[in-house]
Amino acid sequence: MLSFVIRRLAVAIPTLLILVVLSFILMYAAPGGPFNSERPLPPEVLANIEAKYGLDQPFWRQIVNYVVSVVTQFDFGPSFQYKDRSVNDVIAQGFPVTLTYGFWSFVVAVTVGVSLGVAAAIKQNSWIDYFAVGVSIGAQVLPNFVMAPILLLIFTLWLGWLPGGGWNGGQWQFLIMPVIALSTSYMASIARITRSSMLEVLNTNFIRTAIAKGLPMRRVIWRHAMKPTILPVLSYLGPAFVGMITGSVIIDVFFSTGGIGQFFVNSAFNRDYSVIMGITILVGTLTILFNLVVDILYAWIDPKIRY
Amino acid sequence: MLPNRAAVEGAADQMALAEVKGRSLWADARIRFFRNRAAVISLIMLGLVAAFALFGGMLAQYEPDFVNFSLIGSNAYLGVPSIETGHYFGTDSNGRDLFARTVMGTGISLMVGVVGALVAVIVGTLYGATAGYYGGRVDGAMMRIVDVLMSIPFMFVLILMLVIFGRSIFMLFLGIGLISWLDMARIARGQTLTIKNKEFVEVAVATGVRPSKIILRHIVPNLLGIVIVYATLLVPNMIIFESFISFLGLGVQEPATSLGALINEGSRTMQFGFMWQISFPLFFFVVTIFAFFFVGDGLRDALDPKDR
Repeated sequence: MLSFVIRRLAVAIPTLLILVVLSFILMYAAPGGPFNSERPLPPEVLANIEAKYGLDQPFWRQIVNYVVSVVTQFDFGPSFQYKDRSVNDVIAQGFPVTLTYGFWSFVVAVTVGVSLGVAAAIKQNSWIDYFAVGVSIGAQVLPNFVMAPILLLIFTLWLGWLPGGGWNGGQWQFLIMPVIALSTSYMASIARITRSSMLEVLNTNFIRTAIAKGLPMRRVIWRHAMKPTILPVLSYLGPAFVGMITGSVIIDVFFSTGGIGQFFVNSAFNRDYSVIMGITILVGTLTILFNLVVDILYAWIDPKIRY
Repeated sequence: MLPNRAAVEGAADQMALAEVKGRSLWADARIRFFRNRAAVISLIMLGLVAAFALFGGMLAQYEPDFVNFSLIGSNAYLGVPSIETGHYFGTDSNGRDLFARTVMGTGISLMVGVVGALVAVIVGTLYGATAGYYGGRVDGAMMRIVDVLMSIPFMFVLILMLVIFGRSIFMLFLGIGLISWLDMARIARGQTLTIKNKEFVEVAVATGVRPSKIILRHIVPNLLGIVIVYATLLVPNMIIFESFISFLGLGVQEPATSLGALINEGSRTMQFGFMWQISFPLFFFVVTIFAFFFVGDGLRDALDPKDR
C-alpha cells in the first residue's frame, strides 16, 4: 500500500510542476506586459516597476524564481491589478467562500445521488425508480449555467423566498441556490451510476447466496452490495470534483458570492496574469490531490486492485 | 433408408431462408436502434434543429447583426415576439432580431460540438489504438500523458489561454480540441487491447503487415461502433463546454453568438420580464442536448457489444 501511495505521488508531483511551468510559459508568451496601458508610462518609470516585479530579468531566472517561491513558500507574487494586495490575499479572501459552498455541493451531490440511485435499484420499476431515472435524465441537460438563472427566476423573482445573490458570511439563505445550482447535474450523474452499478451487483452470485441464506435485505445491501456498488461512483468523483470547481466560476459570477471564481473572471478581463496563474495553480493542485485521495481510497476498497 | 425427400427439401429451403435473413452487425444495430422510440424521436428532433440552424436564416426577416435603433429602450412592448413585426422570437436588448440570432447561435453551438467530436474521433482513436496496440512501455508512457492531462482543470487553462492569446473562435476550437480526445483515447485503447489478440490481427502480423497498417486497416474499423457511440455522447458535452465559456463572455465574440452567450444575455434581462430572451435560446439548448444524449444512448444500446 505504501509503495502504491509513493508511486502515485511520484506522478502527482511532476504533474503539478508541469502545470506551474506551463502556465508560466503561457503568461510569458503573452503579447504586451501588464503595465502597457493606453497612456504609456515614461520608460524610466516602466523600468522601475518592471524591476520591482522582477520582469527585467531573463526568462529562465524569472521562471526559476516563480517556481521556487510557489513551491517553497506558496507565494504567488503580487497582483498586477490590485496594487495593494498580493495574489495570496486575493485567494485568502475568496477561497473560504468557494470551499464552503463547494463542500456542501459535494456533500449534497454524493449523499442525495447515492441514496437516490440505491433506492431506485432496490425498488426497480417502481415509482421511485422512475422518479430517479427521470430526475437524472432531466438534470443532465441542466448544467450550472442553466440551473442558476432558472433558480433565480423561481425563488427570487417569482416566489421571493431567497436573496438573489451575495454571501453575507455564508448564511444558509445565501447558500441554498449556489449549492443546488452547482450540485444538480453531478447529483444526477451519481444517481445514474449508482443505480446501474447496484443493479449489476444485485444480480451477482454472492448477493444471491447472501439472500438465500436468509440475511435480512438491509444487511445484504449495506454489508455486501454497497462496497462493489460504490467503486464506479468513486472513480466518477474525480471528474465531478473538476466539474464542480470549474462550475464555481459560474456560481460566483451569477450569485456574486465572492469566491475565487469571481476574481478569476475579473482578472481574465483585466489581464491580471499573476492572479489567473495563482488560481489556476491552486485549482490544479486541489484537483491533483483530490484524484490522489480517490485513487488511494479506490485501492483500499477494491481488493482486486494490485499495487 | 433415406429420409423423406420433401422433408430434406423443406430443411434446405429453411436454411436458404435463414441465409437470406442473416443480418450483418450494422443491420442488426440499425434494427435495434429504430426499435428505441426515444432515440428515433430524438433523431428527428435533431434533424429539425439542424434544419433550423441551416435554413432558419431564410425565414428570418432580419440579419442577425442588424440593430433596430428604434426598438432600443422600448423592448417591453415593441420587441415582444410577434408574427406581424417579423420578429418571431422578439428582439434582444440591443434591438436585434432574436430569431436570426438564435438561428446563428444554434449553428455555432452545433458546429463547436461536431468539431470537438471530430477531433476526438480522429486524434483520440488513433492515439488510443496506437497505445493499445504497442502495449508495454509505449502504452504506459502514452497513457500516463493522458492521465496527467486529465487531472489538469482544463477550463482554467483554456481561459488563461483565451486571455493571453486573445478571444477568438479559433482559440476556442483549439482549446476544445485539446481536451476532447482524452476520454476517447482511453476508450479506444481499452477496446484495442481486446481486439489485438484476435486471430485476424495475428494473421496480419504473421503475414508481415506493417504495424501502422494493422492499426489503420484492421483495428480502427473494429473500433468504429464504440467510437461512434462516444462521439455522439461527446457532442452535447462540447456544446455545454462552449456555452460555459460563452456564458462567461469569454467564448464566441460579438456580433457572432452561440446558445451559451444568448442564455447569458437572456438571464440578465429576465428580471425585467423579457422572458422570451432567455426561453427561446434555452429551449433550443435543452432540446439539442436532450436529443444528443438520447441518440447516443440509443446508439450505445444498439452498438455496444457489452450491453447485449
